[in-house]
Amino acid sequence: MTDVKNLHPLEVKLLRNIDEKTQITADGIVSMLGYNIGQCNQAFSWLCAKDCLKEVSKRTVVTYELTELGKQYAKDGTPSQRIFELLKKNGAMGLVEIAEALNLEKSDIGSAYGALSKAGVTAMNEQNRAFLKSEVLPRSITDTAKLLEKGLSAPVEESSLSDYEKSLMGNISKKRGSAGSPFKINEKEIVEYKITETGLEVKQAVIDANITGEEIGVLTPQIVAQGSWKNAQFRPYGLDAPVSRIVPGRHNPYGNYIQWVKDKLTSLGFEEFDGPLVENEFWNGDALFMPQFHSARDIHDVYYVKNPVHCKKIEEPWLTNIANTHTDGGNTGSRGWGYKFDREFTRRQVMRSQGTVLSAHQLTKAKVPGKYFGVVRCFRYDEVDATHGADFYQTEGIVIGKEANLKDLLGLLKMFATEIAGATDFKYVPGYFPFTEPSIEIHIKHPVLGWFELGGSGIFRPEVTKSLGIDEPVLAWGLGIDRMALMHLGLNDIRELFTPDIESVRTRRGN
Amino acid sequence: MPKFETTEKMFFSLMGRKYTDSQLEEIFPRAKAELDEHDKANHVLKIELNDTNRPDLWSAMGLSRLLKNYDAGKPSRYPFFSCAGHSEDNGGRELHIGKKAADVRPYSVAFAADGKVVDDDILTTLIQSQEKLCWNFGRKRKTIAMGIYRDELIKYPVHYDGADPDKTHFVPLHLDEDLSLREILEKHPKGQEFGHIIQDKKVYPLLSDDSGEILSMPPIINSAKIGAVEVGDSSLFVEMSGPILKDLILCASIMACDMADLGFTIKPIKVIFPEKTEFGKEITVPYYFQQDASCELSDIVRVLGQKMTVSEAKKALLRMGVESTVNGKTITVKCPPYRNDFLHPVDIVEDVMIGYGLDNFIPTIPRDFTIGRLTPAEELSRKIKDIMVGLGFQEMMYNYLGSRREYIDNMNITDSQAKAIFIANPMTENYEVVRPSVIPSLLESESVSGNAVYPHNIFEVGKIAYLEPSDNSGTVTHNSLGFMSADSAVGFNEVNSLVNTLMYFLRYEYTLKAPECDSRFITGRCAEIIVNGKKAGVFGEIHPQVLENWGVTVPAVACEIELDSLL
Repeated sequence: MTDVKNLHPLEVKLLRNIDEKTQITADGIVSMLGYNIGQCNQAFSWLCAKDCLKEVSKRTVVTYELTELGKQYAKDGTPSQRIFELLKKNGAMGLVEIAEALNLEKSDIGSAYGALSKAGVTAMNEQNRAFLKSEVLPRSITDTAKLLEKGLSAPVEESSLSDYEKSLMGNISKKRGSAGSPFKINEKEIVEYKITETGLEVKQAVIDANITGEEIGVLTPQIVAQGSWKNAQFRPYGLDAPVSRIVPGRHNPYGNYIQWVKDKLTSLGFEEFDGPLVENEFWNGDALFMPQFHSARDIHDVYYVKNPVHCKKIEEPWLTNIANTHTDGGNTGSRGWGYKFDREFTRRQVMRSQGTVLSAHQLTKAKVPGKYFGVVRCFRYDEVDATHGADFYQTEGIVIGKEANLKDLLGLLKMFATEIAGATDFKYVPGYFPFTEPSIEIHIKHPVLGWFELGGSGIFRPEVTKSLGIDEPVLAWGLGIDRMALMHLGLNDIRELFTPDIESVRTRRGN
Repeated sequence: MPKFETTEKMFFSLMGRKYTDSQLEEIFPRAKAELDEHDKANHVLKIELNDTNRPDLWSAMGLSRLLKNYDAGKPSRYPFFSCAGHSEDNGGRELHIGKKAADVRPYSVAFAADGKVVDDDILTTLIQSQEKLCWNFGRKRKTIAMGIYRDELIKYPVHYDGADPDKTHFVPLHLDEDLSLREILEKHPKGQEFGHIIQDKKVYPLLSDDSGEILSMPPIINSAKIGAVEVGDSSLFVEMSGPILKDLILCASIMACDMADLGFTIKPIKVIFPEKTEFGKEITVPYYFQQDASCELSDIVRVLGQKMTVSEAKKALLRMGVESTVNGKTITVKCPPYRNDFLHPVDIVEDVMIGYGLDNFIPTIPRDFTIGRLTPAEELSRKIKDIMVGLGFQEMMYNYLGSRREYIDNMNITDSQAKAIFIANPMTENYEVVRPSVIPSLLESESVSGNAVYPHNIFEVGKIAYLEPSDNSGTVTHNSLGFMSADSAVGFNEVNSLVNTLMYFLRYEYTLKAPECDSRFITGRCAEIIVNGKKAGVFGEIHPQVLENWGVTVPAVACEIELDSLL
């Protein structure tokens, strides 16, 4: 059964005021409850839909309503009556004189006089002036006047008229274009309803729940100001009504996730770094002790800048230090790669391909001890698909400390695994990166993804740090947060992270 | 990263026992290897190696060698190496390098092997090793190309020299035609693939035996006769050529050790160069050229953070197949002949670490106190994001690479107005230009979001980059805010109010100035935002031509402010 709490006050009041004997019509309810017709119809249609009311009959009722002209006739008399009275008083008159005297149009005079003549009441003398043949008005005219008078108090119902009256009314009423007629014909459909068994049950429930329909709906400023709520009940609102959609201003959920990672890292004492998107081979690879002939540096992995092809210069002493380190180890304790460093190649500009570039930059201006991180956009020459984007975020950082060592690195990775990835199970695996030695990967067991590599790390090779002016050990790490971000957002295609689709971003939620 | 395949049969026979997948997964990290796939239907293991500086591990033999040494705690020994001051008996086999080789590909080294019948498994394995070494370590044959030949057909000495590309000809493997060297470059698939390495040279490398029979044209293709090794052969000649002698010798050592592990007997060959090389004029290959490397115990303790005795370190190294001698607290390692990766003492430390066992290090937390901090740009962008969200805007995030159409043509501007950075080697024209402005990204959203409920209020705080001649790189990267409103009735007044509200809460005084010309916007309905006398941004009604270019049918207003000019 309908939840009575979901009934509108219009329904409640209606139900409470009817029983199985009531013949329910719109007019009846209007006069009984003071609804307007619109409210009445709403209540009927809602209650029918709830199976509380049913339609029992439907008929068309015709009424005649006085027009403005009709009202005037009822007050002043019809033109026929007035001509009759005038002639009775003044004797014979010309039609023009009559029109002037009564302030009527000639055409009105014509038709009114015609009607009087036809009834044998008036006639024309030799001077072509109208005179009364009879002292008595014909019945048709007096009865018409009665109809007009009746119409003054309320519209005349067709059913109240005799056949004779109906025929009279036919002459003085029109359905459309009635301005020139005394009466307008109105046709109205009267539908009669009856309360159903369900309706009676609902009515009882309404009574039992003590719902009157007089409860306060919208709380208006007036109600608050006047305090009228104090002696009133509030209408409870239904909980299963459909809710309307709101399109709020919102942060991007992927952005939120990155922000959360940044907050985690700052909370662990890391300071953020950032840098330009355009880099050069020196910082992107050479400074990280990747030999210039390293296979990962072939054209198919990085995006080269078309113009300017080269940067103007590489800062000293870093250029010379790194060049020497590549050639013979310089002063780093290494034997180097043993090749002649190419000082033109090193100025070649590329789109930053790894976040570690910024760690290298940071070494030249780092504090000791220091902890730094960046969540930075990188670019790779890769076919764009569900797991590769043209550009993507890398999360990287370093820890510089006099006594930083492998065990600290393991501890750091463990902290990332628990704090950032929420992992409880993890393992360390020896890894390989050209710029760290030793190198460690941390693999975590994710509740959904299973085992995967969370991050790569290591201790920067002295070839990197010493060349860039740092004598202390530097722990370097990178985290693959994209996989976690995808899972956090319930996505499985990396391209979705940067979708331009507004609806998709608006509705996306993080876990 | 290099991957190789091996049959279960070969790998487990090299290991001396069978392993389950989970056992393999447990021991593979010692070699920085991963079990990529176990194809159980075909009994094949697919293994990935992470260390690009350890080519010796890129084969079933090399990997199993390390894993067996680890368990046994003692290195494999190979008795066939010559070294400075000691040459193994070469049995009269010689390889003569001609003078003209210097003009194209100066070095070649070789050894022979016999005593084992080549079966399918061995043939596949050798070819795979050859490919991995030449592709990954030899930079796609540029620095190392390897050939394996039928030794019994060879009349020693073998000759390696530069040859006339047009007058020299032979029938290459897989083709039935006798072709000149130049024709082979043009017609043979391998010639087309690798020809670029030598094609501009006056002479091409040629390997032939003493009777003039051609073995191959390195680094392109073997001959169809001596160069066609088949199942059933049992004596082989293995040769490599390239510009870096040390890499060739190392590669020969790796192949020799691998083949010895397979059961071959290695037969040294004396290589005679026309000039003296860094290892002399005559080198008997396989040749041990590696230098000892040493490190202090204190280095190990400092880097690993773990107290350790010299003998513990020595033992750990033995598990990694590395022998060492100790002098006081100095550990000097003798590099295994198949390796050459001890560049720095830290490389020794890593071997100690793996040999000692990663699980034996108890993690500690770095003790130094440091202060966490965000960049000023990040702090400002967070403030801005919060205000924009409060103004009812949805934050978007976009790719930074796009097309010329999106960033320039659609925006109704010229190249010189866009100042965009182009990629020299784009993969497709869809990702050819670095984003010079956020506004095109916002319009792209509008162009694909006609079905989303209006109004569309979106923004992004992200990076843009464009040409800036005064910078060292000729470019500049900025943090930038872009926002856009698109709806049936938006106009200049709305965006003007938004800018005003934003700047009020950010506490920036600004003035507006009509831009000289900005064809992205309707003239007379856009403004430049001036902060401290400098242009910080621009906003206005997007020009209908721009809307049309993007296929957008509702009016849009947009604004872009470079945050770096506010900082």
